[in-house]
Amino acid sequence: MTQQTNKLKLSAILARHETVLLLVILLEIFIFQSSGRNFLASSNVSNIFRHSVEIGLLALVMTPVILTGGIDLSVGSMMGLCAVVFGILVKQYEMSPWLAAMLAISLGALGGMGNAFLITKMNLPPLIVTLGTFSLFRGLAEALTKGSEAYSGFPAGFLTIGNGNFLGLPVQLWIFFAVAILMWLLVHQTTWGRSLRAIGYASEGARYAGISVRFNTGMAYVIAGAIAGLAAVILVARLGEARANVGIGYELLAITAVVLGGTSIFGGAGSISGTLLGYIAVAILNNGLSRITAHQIFDQPIASVSRELSGILTGLLLLVALAAGVILKSLALRRARRQSLNVKPTTT
Amino acid sequence: MKRIPWILTCAAALLITGCNSKSTGGNANGKLTIGLLPKSKGNQYFVTCEKGARLAAADLGAELLFDGPTNTDPAKQNEIVENWISLGVDVIAAACENKDGISTALKKAQDAGIKVVTYDADAQTDARSFFVNQATAQGIGEQLMDTAAELTGGEGEFAIITATLTAANTNEWIKYIQERQAAKYPNMKLVEIKPSDDQKDKAQQETTNLISAYPNLKAVIAVCSPAVPGAAEAVKQAGKAGTIKVLGLGLPSENKAYVKEGVTQAVILWKVEDLGYLTVQVAAAAAQGKIQAGATEFDAGKLGKFEIKGDNVLLGKPFVFTKENIDQFDF
Repeated sequence: MTQQTNKLKLSAILARHETVLLLVILLEIFIFQSSGRNFLASSNVSNIFRHSVEIGLLALVMTPVILTGGIDLSVGSMMGLCAVVFGILVKQYEMSPWLAAMLAISLGALGGMGNAFLITKMNLPPLIVTLGTFSLFRGLAEALTKGSEAYSGFPAGFLTIGNGNFLGLPVQLWIFFAVAILMWLLVHQTTWGRSLRAIGYASEGARYAGISVRFNTGMAYVIAGAIAGLAAVILVARLGEARANVGIGYELLAITAVVLGGTSIFGGAGSISGTLLGYIAVAILNNGLSRITAHQIFDQPIASVSRELSGILTGLLLLVALAAGVILKSLALRRARRQSLNVKPTTT
Repeated sequence: MKRIPWILTCAAALLITGCNSKSTGGNANGKLTIGLLPKSKGNQYFVTCEKGARLAAADLGAELLFDGPTNTDPAKQNEIVENWISLGVDVIAAACENKDGISTALKKAQDAGIKVVTYDADAQTDARSFFVNQATAQGIGEQLMDTAAELTGGEGEFAIITATLTAANTNEWIKYIQERQAAKYPNMKLVEIKPSDDQKDKAQQETTNLISAYPNLKAVIAVCSPAVPGAAEAVKQAGKAGTIKVLGLGLPSENKAYVKEGVTQAVILWKVEDLGYLTVQVAAAAAQGKIQAGATEFDAGKLGKFEIKGDNVLLGKPFVFTKENIDQFDF
């Protein structure tokens, strides 16, 4: 009985967290529209997503990983490695970019499998394993290019993935939609998705309940690796250049979006829709700030401080959202306890 | 299931607002807007560039946006350019970190009717109309040789400390040093060219060796920036300060101490502030159609006239920083 009311309360909080995020997003839109130039122009709305879709993709696949109570720090480095391998395949081996893209995604999946093996078979902590592969993948990418070589001059047809439009929206946004729907289905509509929460909540318990903890956890890392490969291909198409240092720091931005979206870093609770909102909030913040120059604030021509501000505000947004989450949770728990105390005398 | 509406509402809100409003283009106050893109934003070199650029923007009554990457993410320069496109700037002046990557974005800007010029480091030539070239190899080489001759009275042995024996840019400078020496200073003699691997320590060690090998050495020319203080330290420790002249290509700030002590006589570089000033002048002229392909001269306001070679606007002869003037510069 109390278990059930608790559960109801929790889902109510989750809904409220998402409501708060939505309000934050609307507030951002309002502020940037009134202070920045052409913020809501369709070309800029396209830019918001064009410039951040890779982080959005990483956030989507980071969600199941974090649901299991794990973390994947290697996805940004994986992007660097996949980008470089893609560049080499197309430019040195004259492979079709589409085939090379498939191979880059497979390479990502393979790297994810490596993470999965170390984490689930060797029982090493995900933080340590992916910290290791974080260095390893980036190091491989740098070694393959001797640190400085870059590949460019890809066919125009391939570059449309990064720079073209389809039905009025950036091509890569459609890819993102497809992955978002897929991840939503996987996380919220399948037994795999449910098992991730169980694993994150209590992995021993999940094992006793007959869930294949190793396989299900491992899958989350494999998917993360594959989508990191996809994100690398999209980023290369956008830049028109493949080099070893693409995707630096993206893993942390993705984790920010996931946690901002209300997914518990300890695992067990979270949602794809929350991650989407968290990602949109971060993406809008970064784009909007880059459009406000300091003279609009201080009314004098000094250097724009916006890019520096974006780090500060992203950090504050995350911390405030987390603190608000904790406060709301404790308030709700207190109310639930009070209610259960009130309920008891009447039922017995 | 009940979470779907949130996603939908959110996406719908964004897309609807996005599609309904149209780009207003340009800006409200009718001022010329110039986007100045540095390789990196915190770098003192580009901060100095910005200073000159602000002066030019004030002289022209133009609005200047200065923004650049604060980290090493190679996508950042492209994103800034693309944001400027949607912001509706009139002209973009870029110092390119990744030649090929940034050219994708610069070509997009050109397609959107925005004029593009480059400065400091060029893009692909079809991604911009003009490149503000801070120094030609010939200009650098000749200036180094002329200064060395001036310091030694045009006589005696000198040596060169370079980066590596294979570096293309330093080899080109050395070629012009040698040509200038052969043509104008027959009483000077280049005794040796030593590599420093772009390291101060190695430069110091090589210079020490040179000093003992050539007792009549009159000057050391360092053609890469870590080598200038390296050579100076060696000369200082050998007690030859003033007897063996030290000069080279580097940042004034890195050499200030040696210059003031009288160990290093001359540091050669372009005036970075002037580079910023000229770049903004060229950018504004490009946007207003005042500079066309084929022009051979450009009038940059208070800095006077500059030569145009092909599609390169030349900043001109490098500047010589000495004991007398080095305090006026902070880059």
